[in-house]
Amino acid sequence: MLYVVLFFLIFSLFLYVVLGGADYGAGIVELFSSKENQKITKKTVYRVMGPVWEANHIWIIILIVILWIAFPVYYNIIVVNLHIPITIVLLGVTLRGVAFVFRHYDAVIDNSQKLYDGMFKVSSLITPIFLGMVFGGLISGHIKIVEDIATLSFYEAFLKPWFNIFSLCTGLFFAALCAFLSSVLLIGESESGNENIYVRKSTIATIVVFTMGLLTFTYGYISGNIFVIDFIKNPFAILAVLLSAILLIPLWKTIKKGNKVWSRFFAGLQVFLILMAALISHFPDIIITQTGSISLIENIAPDSVINVLGISLIIGGTVILPGLFHLLKSFKMIKILEQHNNPSI
Amino acid sequence: MENLDAARLQMAFTLIFHIVFACIGMVMPFFMVVSHYKWLKTRDQIYLTLTKSWQKGVAIFFVTGAVSGTALSFELGLLWPEFMKHAGPIIGMPFSLEGAAFFVEAIALGFYLYGWGKLPERFHWITGIIIGLSGVASGILVVAANGWMNAPSGFDYVNGEFLNIDPIQAMLNPAWFTQALHMTLAAFTATGFAVAGIHAYQVFKKRKVELHKKAFKIAITFGAIAAILQPISGDISAKDIAKRQPVKLAAMEAHYNTEKSAPLYIGGIVNPKTQEVKYKLALPGMLSFLAFGDFDAEVKGLNDFPEDEHPNVPMVHYAFQIMVGIGSILLFAGILYFISLKRKKWFNNHKYWLFFVVLAPMGFIALEAGWIVTEVGRQPWIIHKIMRTKDAVTPMPGIVFSFYTYVAVYLTLSVAVTWLMLRQIRVLNNSNY
Repeated sequence: MLYVVLFFLIFSLFLYVVLGGADYGAGIVELFSSKENQKITKKTVYRVMGPVWEANHIWIIILIVILWIAFPVYYNIIVVNLHIPITIVLLGVTLRGVAFVFRHYDAVIDNSQKLYDGMFKVSSLITPIFLGMVFGGLISGHIKIVEDIATLSFYEAFLKPWFNIFSLCTGLFFAALCAFLSSVLLIGESESGNENIYVRKSTIATIVVFTMGLLTFTYGYISGNIFVIDFIKNPFAILAVLLSAILLIPLWKTIKKGNKVWSRFFAGLQVFLILMAALISHFPDIIITQTGSISLIENIAPDSVINVLGISLIIGGTVILPGLFHLLKSFKMIKILEQHNNPSI
Repeated sequence: MENLDAARLQMAFTLIFHIVFACIGMVMPFFMVVSHYKWLKTRDQIYLTLTKSWQKGVAIFFVTGAVSGTALSFELGLLWPEFMKHAGPIIGMPFSLEGAAFFVEAIALGFYLYGWGKLPERFHWITGIIIGLSGVASGILVVAANGWMNAPSGFDYVNGEFLNIDPIQAMLNPAWFTQALHMTLAAFTATGFAVAGIHAYQVFKKRKVELHKKAFKIAITFGAIAAILQPISGDISAKDIAKRQPVKLAAMEAHYNTEKSAPLYIGGIVNPKTQEVKYKLALPGMLSFLAFGDFDAEVKGLNDFPEDEHPNVPMVHYAFQIMVGIGSILLFAGILYFISLKRKKWFNNHKYWLFFVVLAPMGFIALEAGWIVTEVGRQPWIIHKIMRTKDAVTPMPGIVFSFYTYVAVYLTLSVAVTWLMLRQIRVLNNSNY
């Protein structure tokens, strides 16, 4: 059952990174667009994200619930030592969610749209940066585990773990990844004539992802980060990253051909590979502290809890996944039907 | 402000908001599907306009409920890490199922909101029902987790360790049913009267009277039925608490000394120092009867328990009085509504509508007061008789700043949501159906 739970943990992490990431990325793309393109993006984002918007963000709740039930030690470290960035993420999620709803459901369209747009775009950038910083914090090796945390200074206990250059690099890397995912997604969804906006955006995003990745690794290597050093030594991790880079070729080919299903598949696969590389290079020790690492597998809840959780996840999964799939499929089909009925679209 | 107080205030503050969003998001879909059903049956354009207007309300409240819920799922750990470290695995079952129910709700909402004219009519309507049902299921599951804090079960507590964990028994703890029943009825009462009150105001102001009367009828029917059923559930809860949490019951009634044939106090000002309750109305033997079904039964007083296990007695007592008082008014209003169905001319009376306008916020005030009774009444425990709240709080200092930030954000949000709803109503009033 532990493996079922682990599967769902990684599965929801992956889906949150891809779906939630694309969602954050939409705001980032909008933020870095010219005024005219912002309008186009806003419309496209609503059309694409609207029906699945709520579902995208529930993955993080599933993720966090699995963590606290099955891996209480991990959850405890995250909420205690990384209290501050998580609070910022939460504020970002709140403002962003509210801004998204306000700008699309407000009965009156007027100047207040500017405020909603601003809130949406800025929180779309800040939230994934801090999310990435939380992950960076876990692996940065700055967390200090002691019997009584009150013996540490405020800086050492609550700031140092995440407020460092390495974490900031991972944060920026994740935000760039979100923008990359979103621009690939938007290429397929934009109305004809606008594709080039997103082709250009995805080129820029790819370059930024690559640069930030390189920077994170170089900095990590120079500063002696255990995670980065082990990553580089791990042949599977390197293979996964290389494969992800090679996939850029089919990605560009499919984008040029306008094959949106395959281009999304490749983009998703790339992110999956990067995520896998990050996880396997140090599995099961995902948290690296000043004095050593903490194993995910060795600090789990009792068997009875894992078993019941595993069964609930299987039952939940069999209800939710077909429904979600159907939701995605129906609206895709509807869109194609619309295009057939109304050639002007 | 001490860290513990700041953490408690922040938790209370965010929960007070979340409960409002969650209740509306959970109950309004039912109003929406009834109106939708009437549209499908009668093809009366008014019902379509109403359904679409309510669906926007559902969407706005669902999202605000979802984001405040996401914040809460983290806050439990951010503020009470010691609690979550031990309790997280034990009460994980209702939370993981709640996650699933919530997901189903989000998927159904996706279908419903974007399915107009695209999905088969019947299927589209059913997705609306699923939104409502999964919302209620979510609510019940979360309340079951809270029930566990009042009636911890499903583990053995040996030398400060939680052993032999049984998550199913923990979920089906002795308090889950009484609390879930009371809360579900409360959600329907509060939302029913709130929505009905808003539409009553529009009728009162003579705006789109036909539409708002129809809306009023749908909402108040749910609210009135729930308000009429609530006393039964309240009685079950009281008897349950008398057995399981006698300290809480004693605090609710500001009952300091153990006595037989204990009187029920209505109202009154509590002085915890002198242990006196002034200006109350005392009904002899009634507390014994309500708690144990026997006018002569002995009811334990607060003085029978160590002082460091007492909650804040005046606060619990006042909150309980407010809840019961408003509950009684709403019960009366519910009956009045059903009588008015027979006396149609009341509908032409200004005062009838004004009466329901005044009642609009009452259900929510009672609901919040009820949660204050449950939560403050459980103090000083976070897990009844197992873990104290002060031992669960985060070691991170300066929670007070996080508290002020939350206050600022949530207050801004509620102003914004209210403003948005007002615009919604204005547009509805200007629509041509």
